[in-house]
Amino acid sequence: MSLGKLIERLLQLVPVLLGVSLIVFVMMALTPGDPVQIMIGDQNITPEQEQALRHGLGLDRPIVERFFVFIGNALQGDFGQSFYHRRPVADVIVERLPATIELSLVALIVALVTAIPLGVLAAIRKNSIFDKLATVGSLLGVSLPGFWFGILLIMLFAVQWHILPVSGRIGYSSEIETITGFLLIDTLLRGNLPAFWDAVKHILLPAITLGLPMTAILMRVTRTSMLEVLRQDYVTFADAKGLSRTRVLFRHALKNALIPTVSVAAIETGSLLGGNMIVETVFGWPGLGRLVVESIFLRNYPLVQAAVLLYAVIYVGLNFFADILYTVLNPRVKL
Amino acid sequence: MTNLQRLLLASAMAIGPVVPAAHASDLVVGFTLDADTLDPANHRKRETETIIRNLYDGLLTRDANMVVVPEIAESMTQVSPTVYDFKIRSGILFHDGTPMTAEDVKFSLDRVTVEGAMGNGQTSPRQSLMGPVASVEVVDGDTVRITLKEPWPILPAMLPNQQIVSKAFVERVGSEGISTEENGTGPFRLVEWRKGESIIMERFTEYYGGATDIPPVGPACVDRVIFKFIPESASRVAALLAGDVQIINELPAFSVAQVNANAGTHVMTVNGTRSFFVAMNLEGEYFDDPLVRQAAAHAIDKNLLIDKILGGNAASIDGILSPDAFGASDLPVYGYDPEMAKKLLADAGFPNGIDIVMDTEGAFKDTAEAIASLLTKVGIRTTVAVGESAQLTAKWRLQGKEPKTGDMYFSSWGNGSLDPFDIFTPTHRTNDRGNSAGYSNPAVDALLDAAATELDVEKRAGMYREAELIINADLPYLYLWVPQDIYGVSDRLSGWQPSADSRINLHDACLN
Repeated sequence: MSLGKLIERLLQLVPVLLGVSLIVFVMMALTPGDPVQIMIGDQNITPEQEQALRHGLGLDRPIVERFFVFIGNALQGDFGQSFYHRRPVADVIVERLPATIELSLVALIVALVTAIPLGVLAAIRKNSIFDKLATVGSLLGVSLPGFWFGILLIMLFAVQWHILPVSGRIGYSSEIETITGFLLIDTLLRGNLPAFWDAVKHILLPAITLGLPMTAILMRVTRTSMLEVLRQDYVTFADAKGLSRTRVLFRHALKNALIPTVSVAAIETGSLLGGNMIVETVFGWPGLGRLVVESIFLRNYPLVQAAVLLYAVIYVGLNFFADILYTVLNPRVKL
Repeated sequence: MTNLQRLLLASAMAIGPVVPAAHASDLVVGFTLDADTLDPANHRKRETETIIRNLYDGLLTRDANMVVVPEIAESMTQVSPTVYDFKIRSGILFHDGTPMTAEDVKFSLDRVTVEGAMGNGQTSPRQSLMGPVASVEVVDGDTVRITLKEPWPILPAMLPNQQIVSKAFVERVGSEGISTEENGTGPFRLVEWRKGESIIMERFTEYYGGATDIPPVGPACVDRVIFKFIPESASRVAALLAGDVQIINELPAFSVAQVNANAGTHVMTVNGTRSFFVAMNLEGEYFDDPLVRQAAAHAIDKNLLIDKILGGNAASIDGILSPDAFGASDLPVYGYDPEMAKKLLADAGFPNGIDIVMDTEGAFKDTAEAIASLLTKVGIRTTVAVGESAQLTAKWRLQGKEPKTGDMYFSSWGNGSLDPFDIFTPTHRTNDRGNSAGYSNPAVDALLDAAATELDVEKRAGMYREAELIINADLPYLYLWVPQDIYGVSDRLSGWQPSADSRINLHDACLN
């Protein structure tokens, strides 16, 4: 892809992000519920005290003015103060973001590592018992709700067998000075192996729960595309040449069969962000998803706006990445 | 040992039980929500206060039975209806080792009560919790005087909600610094705040001991306290059963049997302070008629609901006040009588029944469905509509600004101080904040206004009793129950008691 094309794609981001900002702002404003009333809860307050609170949150200004102030500040990297945390929204989000990204990446790895071999096996042994079991398994994988599957894993691995912890990111006895914010990497960089194992144990169940639906989808995609490829002339030719079955499957067929798998995985990674909200709640994972859901219920406008904007950037970025990856893997396709 | 055996052993050890190099006594609390901030003056959440309260002490505090006692104050004297003097104890240290003085107390209360005192033109969101405070002054060096604009008898009941910060510390780190760092006088000091995951605290060895009226007095029993945030109740229960945590809050009633049956854990309860009720829209087409409201009251078998849905963990109410609240008294009971309900409905002109909708939040869907089925049995055919809290508040708590829509609203109101002023006035005074029924009775308004500033305790209780008798007869709400707060705890825990204001004070907690 030429540099010109790349810049063009990046420029397309600008209207997308402006549009997202406007939509989120308007939706939050139109949703019933007054942040000040929610904040006061079940307490007495005089009209003057209520007004002071409203003024402090900047909610006494007209809505149009608030939107332009938001956009103007956002362009300078200032997303305002969280109504509840009473600190800059950007700080609060940055504290939570690494946990969400780390969990999503591990879930992605779990999904890829399980889905590809299973998908290939199901394709090679088409219509066998294994293939049918894999089909049922993938159906379950997509259908099982995360909050149910997560609790099931907790009951088995934490409560029954005491092998893994129920919640959190790392034990409170492991004191880790963060470098990247990704605990799996930081513990290794610090050479603290026990803490690394502790972090692995903590991330395992949430990553499996989060990765399950994706595993199911990727397995189906791999199976279908593998079957497709196996029907191609060049595979028949390779077989006819007398190459070993393993060589045909892994050198010739799989390489091409993985193209759709990889691009679907890149796009689906965006949906992991959505799944995060549930998984983070079940496993007490200190990520952004949980924070955003809480903030929506509390009408914490600045935090929701900034977080949704961030999600949009990540989502658009992933799609962009998927497009590029596709052209790299499949030279027949040009952007 | 063969290589295979070694490998198996190594992998078994790798995935073996989680054995953190724990401190001698780490008390872990599985708690619903993270703190928003560590600044005692800059938040509006009960959960945040629960956490802060273990780091910071207040002028006054409450014991587990809600009795208000001096903490940082040595004594309290009411000089006149609007003037209170607090003599400050000597020898109290902040966590950084500096002594606490009356100036720190004044500074802390000013931060909450004075408009714009938080810096950048911001006023503390806790200002309204301090009522009509006119000024806070230091007199005689070690006495702090609070002067009110008008009499406000619940000041002592509300003061435990405010904690004392170090003036020098706040001036050094600013409002932003104090939101993530702390320098209190409480039994524990902050070790690390892993945002969204846990807050780790350790015992403050130079602690002055806390309220003399709440023994034992002295430094905390456990070495460290960890608040671990587990929002999902099923996961919180699992963490308790797995032994990961020793206390969990908000144990669902349906998990009580499981926790009690599990070896090593049991349930503790305390009477809560939140009254549950169904608001009936008095401006609506059916519930403007007292007969229809009475029919609804006789249709509900409260004892059955408390028994089956809340596992027996609730106290029935016939007015808005909890049986533990100031001024609460026995009131006439609308007994469960479906035949009477049908007759009243027919007398009101609806022999064929009526069709209505009951709004509620998702968390209370089951309870609302049960109430709906009882109402439906007598001809008040009720459909439950689930909405989100913020949206339902906007629909039902209109403060008379526009006409009210809807039929019924299953809701609740908290009363942490157990003083009627905090619950009776907002829910029953004409057009007040929480008056979701749209109730308006000048006699009740007059009683509530007079009681708010009445200093004679007997007279004040009498006014609330009179007002309760009126609302019991007028029936703007179906008064239901005050649930108990339910905690799951480890058998290793001792010295800790749940508190009705849902604070988790860990000063006296020990682990065996």
